[in-house]
Amino acid sequence: MSHRFSVEITKRLPEFTLDVAWSAGDGVAVLFGPSGAGKTLTLQCLAGLIRPDAGRIVVDGRVLFDSAAGVDLPPQHRRVGYVFQGYALFPHLTVGQNVAFGLRDRPRAERQARAAEVMERLGLGGLEHRRPGELSGGQRQRVALGRALAIDPALLLLDEPLSALDAPLRRSLRDELRTILSGWGTAAVLVTHDFTEAYQLADRIVIYEGGQVIQSAPRAELLWQPASEAVARIMGLRNVLHGTVVKAMPDRIQIAWRGLMLEAVNSPTRSYLPPPESPIAFFIRPEYVRLIRKDRGSPDAAHHMNLMRGRIVGESDFGTVWSLRLRLDAPGAPAQGDFDLEVEVPRLVYEILEIERDRHWEFSIHRGSIHVLPT
Amino acid sequence: MSGDTLGALGLSIRVAVLATLLNALLGIPLAYLLARRPFRGRALVDLLVTLPLVLPPTVTGYYLIVLLGRRGWLGAPVYAWTGWSVAFTWYAAVIAATVMALPLLVRTARAAIESVDRELEKAAFTLGRSEWRTALEVTLPLAKNGIIAGLVLAFARALGEFGATLMLAGNIPGKTTTVPLAIYTAVQTGEMGEAVLLVVALTILSCVVLMVAGHLGARAT
Repeated sequence: MSHRFSVEITKRLPEFTLDVAWSAGDGVAVLFGPSGAGKTLTLQCLAGLIRPDAGRIVVDGRVLFDSAAGVDLPPQHRRVGYVFQGYALFPHLTVGQNVAFGLRDRPRAERQARAAEVMERLGLGGLEHRRPGELSGGQRQRVALGRALAIDPALLLLDEPLSALDAPLRRSLRDELRTILSGWGTAAVLVTHDFTEAYQLADRIVIYEGGQVIQSAPRAELLWQPASEAVARIMGLRNVLHGTVVKAMPDRIQIAWRGLMLEAVNSPTRSYLPPPESPIAFFIRPEYVRLIRKDRGSPDAAHHMNLMRGRIVGESDFGTVWSLRLRLDAPGAPAQGDFDLEVEVPRLVYEILEIERDRHWEFSIHRGSIHVLPT
Repeated sequence: MSGDTLGALGLSIRVAVLATLLNALLGIPLAYLLARRPFRGRALVDLLVTLPLVLPPTVTGYYLIVLLGRRGWLGAPVYAWTGWSVAFTWYAAVIAATVMALPLLVRTARAAIESVDRELEKAAFTLGRSEWRTALEVTLPLAKNGIIAGLVLAFARALGEFGATLMLAGNIPGKTTTVPLAIYTAVQTGEMGEAVLLVVALTILSCVVLMVAGHLGARAT
Protein backbone atom coordinates (compact mmCIF):
# COMPACT_ATOMS: atom_id res chain seq x y z
CA MET A 1 0.00 0.00 0.00
CA SER A 2 1.27 3.46 -0.84
CA HIS A 3 1.31 5.56 2.28
CA ARG A 4 -0.11 8.87 1.28
CA PHE A 5 0.10 10.13 4.80
CA SER A 6 1.35 8.95 8.15
CA VAL A 7 0.59 10.13 11.64
CA GLU A 8 2.61 9.64 14.79
CA ILE A 9 1.44 11.70 17.74
CA THR A 10 1.92 11.86 21.47
CA LYS A 11 -0.06 14.44 23.39
CA ARG A 12 -0.41 14.48 27.16
CA LEU A 13 -3.40 16.28 28.61
CA PRO A 14 -4.22 16.49 32.34
CA GLU A 15 -6.61 13.52 32.33
CA PHE A 16 -5.82 11.89 29.02
CA THR A 17 -2.89 10.77 26.90
CA LEU A 18 -3.06 10.40 23.15
CA ASP A 19 -0.41 8.10 21.76
CA VAL A 20 -1.14 6.92 18.23
CA ALA A 21 0.66 5.91 15.07
CA TRP A 22 -1.06 4.94 11.85
CA SER A 23 -0.86 5.56 8.15
CA ALA A 24 -3.23 5.50 5.21
CA GLY A 25 -3.22 5.59 1.45
CA ASP A 26 -5.59 7.26 -0.96
CA GLY A 27 -9.24 7.46 -0.10
CA VAL A 28 -10.98 7.84 3.21
CA ALA A 29 -9.53 6.78 6.54
CA VAL A 30 -12.17 6.66 9.24
CA LEU A 31 -11.20 7.10 12.88
CA PHE A 32 -13.73 5.03 14.76
CA GLY A 33 -14.20 4.55 18.48
CA PRO A 34 -16.14 5.69 21.53
CA SER A 35 -16.40 9.36 22.49
CA GLY A 36 -13.34 10.61 24.30
CA ALA A 37 -10.97 8.17 22.59
CA GLY A 38 -8.85 10.94 21.06
CA LYS A 39 -10.27 11.02 17.52
CA THR A 40 -11.05 14.73 17.36
CA LEU A 41 -7.80 15.52 19.16
CA THR A 42 -5.99 13.68 16.36
CA LEU A 43 -7.78 15.78 13.74
CA GLN A 44 -6.82 18.98 15.55
CA CYS A 45 -3.20 17.87 15.66
CA LEU A 46 -3.34 17.12 11.92
CA ALA A 47 -4.76 20.57 11.23
CA GLY A 48 -2.18 22.27 13.44
CA LEU A 49 -4.79 23.62 15.85
CA ILE A 50 -3.22 21.69 18.72
CA ARG A 51 0.48 21.05 19.06
CA PRO A 52 1.45 17.46 19.90
CA ASP A 53 4.15 16.92 22.54
CA ALA A 54 6.05 14.70 20.15
CA GLY A 55 5.70 12.90 16.87
CA ARG A 56 5.69 13.35 13.14
CA ILE A 57 2.96 14.09 10.60
CA VAL A 58 3.68 13.63 6.90
CA VAL A 59 1.17 14.24 4.10
CA ASP A 60 2.12 13.47 0.50
CA GLY A 61 5.79 13.60 1.44
CA ARG A 62 5.35 17.04 3.02
CA VAL A 63 6.34 17.20 6.69
CA LEU A 64 3.67 19.14 8.60
CA PHE A 65 5.04 18.38 12.03
CA ASP A 66 8.21 16.79 13.27
CA SER A 67 9.14 17.36 16.90
CA ALA A 68 12.64 15.93 16.40
CA ALA A 69 13.40 18.27 13.49
CA GLY A 70 11.58 21.22 15.07
CA VAL A 71 9.03 21.45 12.24
CA ASP A 72 5.57 22.72 13.14
CA LEU A 73 3.69 24.32 10.25
CA PRO A 74 0.95 26.68 11.44
CA PRO A 75 -2.61 25.74 10.38
CA GLN A 76 -2.52 28.58 7.83
CA HIS A 77 0.24 26.84 5.87
CA ARG A 78 -0.79 23.19 6.12
CA ARG A 79 -3.32 23.14 3.28
CA VAL A 80 -5.53 20.88 5.37
CA GLY A 81 -9.28 21.33 4.93
CA TYR A 82 -11.35 20.94 8.08
CA VAL A 83 -15.08 20.24 8.18
CA PHE A 84 -16.06 20.88 11.78
CA GLN A 85 -18.70 18.91 13.66
CA GLY A 86 -21.17 21.79 13.69
CA TYR A 87 -19.78 22.91 10.29
CA ALA A 88 -18.55 26.26 11.75
CA LEU A 89 -19.86 28.26 8.81
CA PHE A 90 -19.36 32.01 9.15
CA PRO A 91 -22.88 33.19 9.97
CA HIS A 92 -22.22 36.79 8.96
CA LEU A 93 -21.07 35.85 5.45
CA THR A 94 -23.02 34.56 2.47
CA VAL A 95 -22.64 31.05 1.09
CA GLY A 96 -20.46 32.43 -1.69
CA GLN A 97 -18.24 34.31 0.74
CA ASN A 98 -17.95 31.24 2.93
CA VAL A 99 -16.85 29.04 0.04
CA ALA A 100 -14.39 31.69 -1.22
CA PHE A 101 -13.03 32.44 2.25
CA GLY A 102 -9.86 30.39 1.84
CA LEU A 103 -9.05 31.87 -1.58
CA ARG A 104 -8.18 35.38 -0.43
CA ASP A 105 -4.62 35.35 -1.74
CA ARG A 106 -5.75 34.64 -5.31
CA PRO A 107 -6.73 37.24 -7.90
CA ARG A 108 -10.35 38.27 -7.72
CA ALA A 109 -11.42 36.69 -11.02
CA GLU A 110 -9.77 33.38 -10.19
CA ARG A 111 -11.30 33.44 -6.74
CA GLN A 112 -14.79 33.89 -8.11
CA ALA A 113 -14.32 31.27 -10.79
CA ARG A 114 -13.05 28.71 -8.28
CA ALA A 115 -15.85 29.40 -5.79
CA ALA A 116 -18.45 29.14 -8.57
CA GLU A 117 -16.95 25.87 -9.80
CA VAL A 118 -16.97 24.35 -6.32
CA MET A 119 -20.54 25.44 -5.65
CA GLU A 120 -21.66 24.08 -9.00
CA ARG A 121 -20.06 20.70 -8.35
CA LEU A 122 -21.67 20.47 -4.93
CA GLY A 123 -25.10 21.49 -6.17
CA LEU A 124 -25.03 24.82 -4.35
CA GLY A 125 -25.68 26.91 -7.45
CA GLY A 126 -28.23 29.63 -6.80
CA LEU A 127 -27.50 29.74 -3.06
CA GLU A 128 -24.51 32.14 -3.31
CA HIS A 129 -26.30 35.03 -1.63
CA ARG A 130 -27.97 33.08 1.15
CA ARG A 131 -26.69 33.11 4.70
CA PRO A 132 -25.85 29.83 6.47
CA GLY A 133 -28.78 30.40 8.83
CA GLU A 134 -31.20 30.10 5.90
CA LEU A 135 -29.93 26.71 4.72
CA SER A 136 -31.07 23.17 5.45
CA GLY A 137 -28.78 20.77 7.30
CA GLY A 138 -27.74 19.04 4.10
CA GLN A 139 -26.96 22.31 2.34
CA ARG A 140 -24.89 23.47 5.29
CA GLN A 141 -22.87 20.29 5.15
CA ARG A 142 -22.18 20.87 1.47
CA VAL A 143 -21.15 24.49 2.09
CA ALA A 144 -18.75 23.32 4.80
CA LEU A 145 -17.36 20.71 2.41
CA GLY A 146 -17.12 23.26 -0.38
CA ARG A 147 -15.31 25.77 1.78
CA ALA A 148 -12.75 23.15 2.79
CA LEU A 149 -12.39 21.69 -0.73
CA ALA A 150 -12.08 25.08 -2.45
CA ILE A 151 -8.51 25.48 -1.18
CA ASP A 152 -7.65 22.20 -2.92
CA PRO A 153 -6.44 20.63 0.32
CA ALA A 154 -3.75 17.97 0.50
CA LEU A 155 -5.84 16.36 3.20
CA LEU A 156 -9.48 16.79 4.15
CA LEU A 157 -10.57 16.33 7.77
CA LEU A 158 -14.19 15.68 8.71
CA ASP A 159 -15.29 15.61 12.35
CA GLU A 160 -18.57 13.68 12.73
CA PRO A 161 -19.91 15.29 9.55
CA LEU A 162 -23.34 13.68 9.87
CA SER A 163 -23.98 13.95 13.59
CA ALA A 164 -25.73 17.31 13.29
CA LEU A 165 -28.45 15.81 11.09
CA ASP A 166 -31.71 13.96 11.70
CA ALA A 167 -31.71 10.20 11.23
CA PRO A 168 -33.52 9.99 7.83
CA LEU A 169 -31.35 12.77 6.38
CA ARG A 170 -28.20 11.15 7.77
CA ARG A 171 -28.68 8.10 5.66
CA SER A 172 -29.13 9.89 2.35
CA LEU A 173 -26.31 12.32 3.13
CA ARG A 174 -24.04 9.42 3.95
CA ASP A 175 -24.42 8.21 0.36
CA GLU A 176 -23.99 11.74 -0.92
CA LEU A 177 -20.86 12.27 1.17
CA ARG A 178 -19.40 9.00 -0.09
CA THR A 179 -19.99 10.11 -3.68
CA ILE A 180 -18.48 13.56 -3.09
CA LEU A 181 -15.40 12.17 -1.35
CA SER A 182 -14.68 9.60 -4.04
CA GLY A 183 -15.48 12.14 -6.75
CA TRP A 184 -12.98 14.70 -5.49
CA GLY A 185 -10.34 12.09 -4.82
CA THR A 186 -8.91 14.06 -1.92
CA ALA A 187 -7.35 11.96 0.81
CA ALA A 188 -9.62 12.33 3.80
CA VAL A 189 -9.74 11.49 7.50
CA LEU A 190 -13.22 11.21 8.94
CA VAL A 191 -14.21 10.80 12.58
CA THR A 192 -17.32 8.94 13.66
CA HIS A 193 -18.61 6.74 16.46
CA ASP A 194 -21.27 5.07 14.31
CA PHE A 195 -19.95 1.83 12.85
CA THR A 196 -22.38 1.68 9.93
CA GLU A 197 -21.26 5.16 8.97
CA ALA A 198 -17.61 4.22 9.42
CA TYR A 199 -17.94 1.12 7.28
CA GLN A 200 -19.85 2.81 4.50
CA LEU A 201 -17.53 5.80 4.18
CA ALA A 202 -14.19 4.17 4.85
CA ASP A 203 -11.51 2.63 2.75
CA ARG A 204 -9.50 2.09 5.89
CA ILE A 205 -10.78 2.03 9.46
CA VAL A 206 -8.58 3.04 12.38
CA ILE A 207 -10.03 1.95 15.72
CA TYR A 208 -9.41 4.23 18.69
CA GLU A 209 -9.79 3.38 22.32
CA GLY A 210 -8.54 5.37 25.31
CA GLY A 211 -6.08 7.42 23.27
CA GLN A 212 -4.58 4.44 21.44
CA VAL A 213 -5.07 2.71 18.13
CA ILE A 214 -6.10 -0.89 18.66
CA GLN A 215 -6.49 -1.79 14.99
CA SER A 216 -5.95 -0.15 11.63
CA ALA A 217 -7.07 -2.14 8.60
CA PRO A 218 -8.93 -1.97 5.31
CA ARG A 219 -12.64 -1.99 6.09
CA ALA A 220 -13.40 -5.50 4.84
CA GLU A 221 -10.53 -6.99 6.80
CA LEU A 222 -11.73 -5.21 9.89
CA LEU A 223 -15.28 -6.44 9.46
CA TRP A 224 -14.27 -10.10 9.12
CA GLN A 225 -11.09 -10.21 11.14
CA PRO A 226 -11.22 -7.87 14.13
CA ALA A 227 -7.80 -8.00 15.72
CA SER A 228 -8.99 -8.50 19.28
CA GLU A 229 -11.91 -8.81 21.62
CA ALA A 230 -11.61 -5.09 22.41
CA VAL A 231 -12.04 -4.25 18.72
CA ALA A 232 -15.03 -6.58 18.47
CA ARG A 233 -16.70 -4.91 21.44
CA ILE A 234 -16.08 -1.39 20.12
CA MET A 235 -17.53 -2.44 16.77
CA GLY A 236 -20.62 -3.52 18.68
CA LEU A 237 -20.37 -7.15 17.55
CA ARG A 238 -22.81 -9.48 19.22
CA ASN A 239 -22.19 -13.01 20.47
CA VAL A 240 -18.63 -12.31 21.62
CA LEU A 241 -17.98 -15.57 23.49
CA HIS A 242 -15.25 -17.29 25.49
CA GLY A 243 -14.17 -20.92 25.19
CA THR A 244 -11.12 -23.11 25.57
CA VAL A 245 -8.77 -24.18 22.82
CA VAL A 246 -8.84 -27.92 22.16
CA LYS A 247 -6.58 -27.94 19.13
CA ALA A 248 -5.31 -25.18 16.87
CA MET A 249 -4.15 -25.81 13.32
CA PRO A 250 -3.26 -23.25 10.64
CA ASP A 251 -6.65 -23.68 8.92
CA ARG A 252 -8.89 -24.87 11.78
CA ILE A 253 -9.35 -24.30 15.48
CA GLN A 254 -11.34 -26.58 17.73
CA ILE A 255 -12.96 -24.82 20.67
CA ALA A 256 -14.71 -26.26 23.71
CA TRP A 257 -17.69 -24.09 24.65
CA ARG A 258 -20.75 -24.81 26.78
CA GLY A 259 -20.08 -28.55 26.63
CA LEU A 260 -19.89 -28.47 22.84
CA MET A 261 -16.94 -28.90 20.53
CA LEU A 262 -17.03 -26.10 17.99
CA GLU A 263 -14.96 -26.09 14.89
CA ALA A 264 -13.89 -22.72 13.51
CA VAL A 265 -11.86 -21.61 10.52
CA ASN A 266 -8.46 -20.24 11.44
CA SER A 267 -6.82 -17.60 9.35
CA PRO A 268 -3.61 -18.97 7.77
CA THR A 269 -2.40 -15.40 7.13
CA ARG A 270 -2.65 -14.59 10.82
CA SER A 271 -1.05 -17.86 11.93
CA TYR A 272 -2.70 -17.67 15.33
CA LEU A 273 -1.90 -20.96 17.04
CA PRO A 274 -2.73 -20.82 20.76
CA PRO A 275 -1.74 -23.92 22.77
CA PRO A 276 -4.45 -26.37 23.89
CA GLU A 277 -6.33 -25.50 27.10
CA SER A 278 -5.72 -21.75 26.65
CA PRO A 279 -8.75 -19.47 26.83
CA ILE A 280 -9.97 -18.12 23.52
CA ALA A 281 -12.47 -15.46 22.46
CA PHE A 282 -14.58 -15.70 19.32
CA PHE A 283 -17.72 -14.23 17.87
CA ILE A 284 -20.64 -15.51 15.86
CA ARG A 285 -22.73 -13.15 13.73
CA PRO A 286 -26.39 -13.59 14.71
CA GLU A 287 -27.51 -13.69 11.05
CA TYR A 288 -25.14 -16.58 10.29
CA VAL A 289 -26.70 -19.01 12.77
CA ARG A 290 -28.92 -21.42 10.82
CA LEU A 291 -32.18 -22.86 12.04
CA ILE A 292 -32.67 -26.46 10.97
CA ARG A 293 -36.07 -27.18 9.46
CA LYS A 294 -37.93 -30.01 11.15
CA ASP A 295 -39.71 -31.14 7.97
CA ARG A 296 -36.54 -32.06 6.04
CA GLY A 297 -35.34 -35.12 7.96
CA SER A 298 -32.22 -35.23 10.07
CA PRO A 299 -29.48 -32.67 9.24
CA ASP A 300 -26.72 -33.96 7.03
CA ALA A 301 -23.15 -33.39 8.10
CA ALA A 302 -22.05 -31.92 4.77
CA HIS A 303 -24.35 -28.92 5.17
CA HIS A 304 -24.63 -28.62 8.89
CA MET A 305 -21.78 -28.49 11.32
CA ASN A 306 -21.47 -27.27 14.88
CA LEU A 307 -24.94 -28.55 15.69
CA MET A 308 -26.64 -27.47 18.89
CA ARG A 309 -30.09 -27.59 20.44
CA GLY A 310 -31.81 -24.94 22.42
CA ARG A 311 -34.88 -23.10 23.50
CA ILE A 312 -35.87 -19.58 22.57
CA VAL A 313 -36.04 -17.63 25.82
CA GLY A 314 -36.52 -14.16 24.39
CA GLU A 315 -37.08 -12.30 21.15
CA SER A 316 -37.27 -8.82 19.67
CA ASP A 317 -39.11 -7.73 16.56
CA PHE A 318 -37.00 -5.39 14.41
CA GLY A 319 -39.56 -5.22 11.64
CA THR A 320 -37.89 -7.04 8.79
CA VAL A 321 -35.91 -9.35 11.05
CA TRP A 322 -36.50 -11.07 14.35
CA SER A 323 -33.77 -11.35 16.92
CA LEU A 324 -34.06 -14.54 18.98
CA ARG A 325 -32.25 -15.24 22.25
CA LEU A 326 -31.37 -18.87 22.45
CA ARG A 327 -30.54 -20.92 25.53
CA LEU A 328 -28.76 -24.19 24.87
CA ASP A 329 -30.03 -27.42 26.34
CA ALA A 330 -26.55 -28.08 27.72
CA PRO A 331 -26.26 -27.87 31.52
CA GLY A 332 -24.37 -25.00 33.14
CA ALA A 333 -24.73 -21.23 33.23
CA PRO A 334 -25.66 -19.54 29.93
CA ALA A 335 -22.87 -17.61 28.21
CA GLN A 336 -24.59 -14.23 28.04
CA GLY A 337 -26.66 -13.76 31.16
CA ASP A 338 -29.89 -15.71 30.64
CA PHE A 339 -29.09 -16.84 27.09
CA ASP A 340 -26.23 -18.33 25.08
CA LEU A 341 -26.61 -17.03 21.55
CA GLU A 342 -28.36 -14.24 19.76
CA VAL A 343 -29.80 -15.42 16.46
CA GLU A 344 -31.31 -13.32 13.71
CA VAL A 345 -33.90 -14.65 11.28
CA PRO A 346 -35.73 -12.84 8.48
CA ARG A 347 -39.36 -12.11 9.22
CA LEU A 348 -40.49 -14.44 6.42
CA VAL A 349 -38.59 -17.37 7.97
CA TYR A 350 -40.02 -16.50 11.37
CA GLU A 351 -43.54 -16.70 9.95
CA ILE A 352 -43.12 -19.78 7.74
CA LEU A 353 -41.53 -21.83 10.51
CA GLU A 354 -44.11 -20.56 13.01
CA ILE A 355 -41.39 -19.71 15.50
CA GLU A 356 -43.89 -17.82 17.58
CA ARG A 357 -45.51 -21.13 18.47
CA ASP A 358 -42.56 -23.50 18.25
CA ARG A 359 -39.80 -22.58 20.72
CA HIS A 360 -37.43 -25.53 20.64
CA TRP A 361 -35.00 -25.77 17.72
CA GLU A 362 -31.86 -27.29 16.41
CA PHE A 363 -29.24 -24.87 15.05
CA SER A 364 -26.03 -25.12 13.09
CA ILE A 365 -23.16 -22.73 12.50
CA HIS A 366 -20.78 -23.09 9.59
CA ARG A 367 -17.17 -23.16 10.71
CA GLY A 368 -16.50 -20.13 8.53
CA SER A 369 -19.00 -18.15 10.59
CA ILE A 370 -17.18 -18.61 13.88
CA HIS A 371 -14.54 -15.91 14.01
CA VAL A 372 -11.62 -16.27 16.34
CA LEU A 373 -10.42 -13.16 18.20
CA PRO A 374 -6.68 -13.34 18.95
CA THR A 375 -5.52 -12.09 22.32
CA MET B 1 -30.34 79.85 27.61
CA SER B 2 -27.10 81.51 28.66
CA GLY B 3 -23.82 81.20 26.80
CA ASP B 4 -22.36 79.14 29.61
CA THR B 5 -25.25 76.68 29.42
CA LEU B 6 -24.81 76.20 25.69
CA GLY B 7 -21.05 75.96 26.22
CA ALA B 8 -21.51 73.23 28.84
CA LEU B 9 -23.73 71.28 26.46
CA GLY B 10 -21.25 71.59 23.60
CA LEU B 11 -18.33 70.64 25.85
CA SER B 12 -20.16 67.62 27.22
CA ILE B 13 -20.91 66.31 23.75
CA ARG B 14 -17.34 66.94 22.60
CA VAL B 15 -15.91 65.22 25.69
CA ALA B 16 -18.28 62.25 25.40
CA VAL B 17 -17.60 61.76 21.67
CA LEU B 18 -13.83 61.94 22.12
CA ALA B 19 -13.93 59.68 25.18
CA THR B 20 -16.00 57.16 23.21
CA LEU B 21 -13.52 57.26 20.33
CA LEU B 22 -10.63 56.73 22.73
CA ASN B 23 -12.60 53.91 24.30
CA ALA B 24 -13.03 52.26 20.92
CA LEU B 25 -9.33 52.62 20.14
CA LEU B 26 -8.14 51.31 23.51
CA GLY B 27 -11.04 49.22 24.69
CA ILE B 28 -11.76 46.97 21.70
CA PRO B 29 -8.17 45.69 21.34
CA LEU B 30 -7.98 45.36 25.12
CA ALA B 31 -11.24 43.40 25.22
CA TYR B 32 -9.93 41.12 22.46
CA LEU B 33 -6.66 40.51 24.29
CA LEU B 34 -8.43 39.80 27.57
CA ALA B 35 -10.88 37.45 25.86
CA ARG B 36 -8.54 35.55 23.56
CA ARG B 37 -4.90 35.92 24.55
CA PRO B 38 -3.65 34.55 27.82
CA PHE B 39 -0.75 36.90 28.55
CA ARG B 40 1.32 37.56 31.65
CA GLY B 41 -0.28 40.15 33.89
CA ARG B 42 -3.72 39.64 32.36
CA ALA B 43 -5.35 39.50 35.79
CA LEU B 44 -3.64 42.77 36.77
CA VAL B 45 -4.74 44.56 33.59
CA ASP B 46 -8.27 43.26 34.09
CA LEU B 47 -8.24 44.56 37.68
CA LEU B 48 -6.91 48.01 36.72
CA VAL B 49 -9.45 48.44 33.93
CA THR B 50 -12.33 47.34 36.11
CA LEU B 51 -11.45 49.32 39.24
CA PRO B 52 -13.11 52.61 38.15
CA LEU B 53 -16.39 50.70 37.99
CA VAL B 54 -16.33 49.90 41.70
CA LEU B 55 -14.29 52.75 43.21
CA PRO B 56 -16.04 56.01 44.05
CA PRO B 57 -15.38 58.35 41.08
CA THR B 58 -13.63 60.81 43.36
CA VAL B 59 -11.12 58.09 44.32
CA THR B 60 -10.46 57.36 40.65
CA GLY B 61 -10.11 61.10 40.15
CA TYR B 62 -7.65 61.27 42.99
CA TYR B 63 -5.51 58.56 41.39
CA LEU B 64 -5.65 60.45 38.12
CA ILE B 65 -4.33 63.55 39.90
CA VAL B 66 -1.56 61.46 41.46
CA LEU B 67 -0.69 60.22 37.99
CA LEU B 68 -1.29 63.26 35.79
CA GLY B 69 -1.41 66.30 38.11
CA ARG B 70 1.23 68.98 37.98
CA ARG B 71 3.18 67.08 40.66
CA GLY B 72 2.03 63.64 39.47
CA TRP B 73 4.20 60.67 38.44
CA LEU B 74 3.67 61.43 34.77
CA GLY B 75 2.46 65.00 35.11
CA ALA B 76 5.56 66.35 36.88
CA PRO B 77 8.07 65.38 34.16
CA VAL B 78 5.69 66.69 31.48
CA TYR B 79 5.30 69.96 33.40
CA ALA B 80 9.06 70.25 33.90
CA TRP B 81 9.63 69.68 30.21
CA THR B 82 6.87 71.80 28.68
CA GLY B 83 5.50 74.00 31.44
CA TRP B 84 2.07 72.61 30.64
CA SER B 85 -0.18 70.33 32.66
CA VAL B 86 -3.24 68.50 31.50
CA ALA B 87 -4.95 69.07 34.86
CA PHE B 88 -7.74 71.66 34.77
CA THR B 89 -7.99 71.64 30.96
CA TRP B 90 -10.87 70.17 28.97
CA TYR B 91 -8.50 67.38 27.90
CA ALA B 92 -8.54 66.30 31.52
CA ALA B 93 -12.31 65.93 31.27
CA VAL B 94 -11.82 63.67 28.25
CA ILE B 95 -9.25 61.57 30.14
CA ALA B 96 -11.46 61.28 33.21
CA ALA B 97 -14.48 60.31 31.10
CA THR B 98 -12.40 57.78 29.14
CA VAL B 99 -11.09 56.06 32.25
CA MET B 100 -14.52 55.97 33.85
CA ALA B 101 -16.20 54.59 30.74
CA LEU B 102 -13.53 52.06 29.77
CA PRO B 103 -14.64 49.23 32.10
CA LEU B 104 -18.16 49.35 30.68
CA LEU B 105 -16.94 48.92 27.10
CA VAL B 106 -14.23 46.40 27.93
CA ARG B 107 -16.50 44.18 29.99
CA THR B 108 -19.35 44.22 27.48
CA ALA B 109 -17.12 43.76 24.43
CA ARG B 110 -15.08 41.07 26.14
CA ALA B 111 -18.19 39.05 26.96
CA ALA B 112 -19.34 39.41 23.34
CA ILE B 113 -15.96 38.30 21.98
CA GLU B 114 -15.81 35.37 24.39
CA SER B 115 -19.19 34.19 23.17
CA VAL B 116 -17.98 33.90 19.56
CA ASP B 117 -17.60 30.20 18.73
CA ARG B 118 -13.90 29.41 18.72
CA GLU B 119 -14.42 26.81 16.01
CA LEU B 120 -15.16 29.70 13.63
CA GLU B 121 -11.73 31.13 14.40
CA LYS B 122 -10.11 27.73 13.97
CA ALA B 123 -11.91 27.35 10.64
CA ALA B 124 -10.47 30.71 9.55
CA PHE B 125 -6.97 29.56 10.58
CA THR B 126 -7.24 26.41 8.46
CA LEU B 127 -8.40 28.61 5.58
CA GLY B 128 -5.18 30.61 5.73
CA ARG B 129 -6.13 33.58 7.91
CA SER B 130 -3.67 34.92 10.46
CA GLU B 131 -4.96 35.59 13.96
CA TRP B 132 -5.01 39.31 13.20
CA ARG B 133 -7.08 38.90 10.00
CA THR B 134 -9.33 36.39 11.77
CA ALA B 135 -10.04 38.93 14.51
CA LEU B 136 -10.91 41.58 11.92
CA GLU B 137 -12.94 39.36 9.59
CA VAL B 138 -14.58 36.87 11.92
CA THR B 139 -14.39 37.56 15.65
CA LEU B 140 -15.06 41.30 15.81
CA PRO B 141 -17.84 41.33 13.16
CA LEU B 142 -19.60 38.55 15.09
CA ALA B 143 -19.17 40.43 18.37
CA LYS B 144 -20.42 43.63 16.74
CA ASN B 145 -23.68 43.90 18.70
CA GLY B 146 -21.94 43.55 22.03
CA ILE B 147 -19.28 46.04 21.02
CA ILE B 148 -21.89 48.59 19.91
CA ALA B 149 -23.77 48.10 23.15
CA GLY B 150 -20.51 48.66 25.04
CA LEU B 151 -19.80 51.86 23.10
CA VAL B 152 -23.29 53.16 23.87
CA LEU B 153 -22.80 52.47 27.56
CA ALA B 154 -19.40 54.14 27.38
CA PHE B 155 -20.85 57.21 25.67
CA ALA B 156 -23.63 57.49 28.26
CA ARG B 157 -21.15 57.09 31.09
CA ALA B 158 -18.84 59.72 29.59
CA LEU B 159 -21.74 62.12 29.12
CA GLY B 160 -22.74 61.83 32.76
CA GLU B 161 -19.28 61.73 34.32
CA PHE B 162 -19.04 63.97 37.38
CA GLY B 163 -16.71 62.97 40.21
CA ALA B 164 -13.47 62.11 38.43
CA THR B 165 -13.94 65.05 36.05
CA LEU B 166 -14.36 67.43 38.96
CA MET B 167 -11.15 66.11 40.55
CA LEU B 168 -8.91 66.25 37.50
CA ALA B 169 -10.45 68.97 35.35
CA GLY B 170 -12.05 71.12 37.99
CA ASN B 171 -15.19 73.15 37.43
CA ILE B 172 -14.03 76.15 35.42
CA PRO B 173 -17.06 77.79 33.74
CA GLY B 174 -16.70 77.95 29.99
CA LYS B 175 -13.59 75.78 30.14
CA THR B 176 -14.11 72.50 31.99
CA THR B 177 -17.70 72.76 33.19
CA THR B 178 -19.57 69.88 31.58
CA VAL B 179 -23.35 69.52 31.86
CA PRO B 180 -23.36 67.44 35.06
CA LEU B 181 -21.05 69.97 36.71
CA ALA B 182 -23.16 72.86 35.41
CA ILE B 183 -26.31 71.26 36.84
CA TYR B 184 -24.59 70.87 40.20
CA THR B 185 -23.42 74.49 40.15
CA ALA B 186 -26.84 75.77 39.07
CA VAL B 187 -28.59 73.93 41.90
CA GLN B 188 -25.98 75.12 44.42
CA THR B 189 -26.49 78.74 43.39
CA GLY B 190 -30.27 78.44 43.22
CA GLU B 191 -30.59 78.87 39.44
CA MET B 192 -33.31 76.27 39.13
CA GLY B 193 -34.40 77.28 35.62
CA GLU B 194 -30.89 76.71 34.34
CA ALA B 195 -30.72 73.34 36.12
CA VAL B 196 -34.06 72.14 34.70
CA LEU B 197 -33.03 73.16 31.21
CA LEU B 198 -29.81 71.15 31.41
CA VAL B 199 -31.52 68.17 33.03
CA VAL B 200 -34.07 68.07 30.20
CA ALA B 201 -31.35 68.49 27.56
CA LEU B 202 -29.26 65.67 28.99
CA THR B 203 -32.30 63.40 29.29
CA ILE B 204 -33.29 64.02 25.66
CA LEU B 205 -29.72 63.46 24.49
CA SER B 206 -29.53 60.17 26.39
CA CYS B 207 -32.84 59.02 24.92
CA VAL B 208 -31.64 59.84 21.39
CA VAL B 209 -28.42 57.88 21.96
CA LEU B 210 -30.34 54.87 23.23
CA MET B 211 -32.73 54.98 20.27
CA VAL B 212 -29.90 55.23 17.75
CA ALA B 213 -28.12 52.35 19.48
CA GLY B 214 -31.27 50.26 19.44
CA HIS B 215 -31.67 50.96 15.73
CA LEU B 216 -28.06 49.99 15.02
CA GLY B 217 -28.44 46.83 17.10
CA ALA B 218 -31.61 45.84 15.26
CA ARG B 219 -29.94 46.35 11.88
CA ALA B 220 -26.90 44.32 12.90
CA THR B 221 -28.87 41.16 13.69
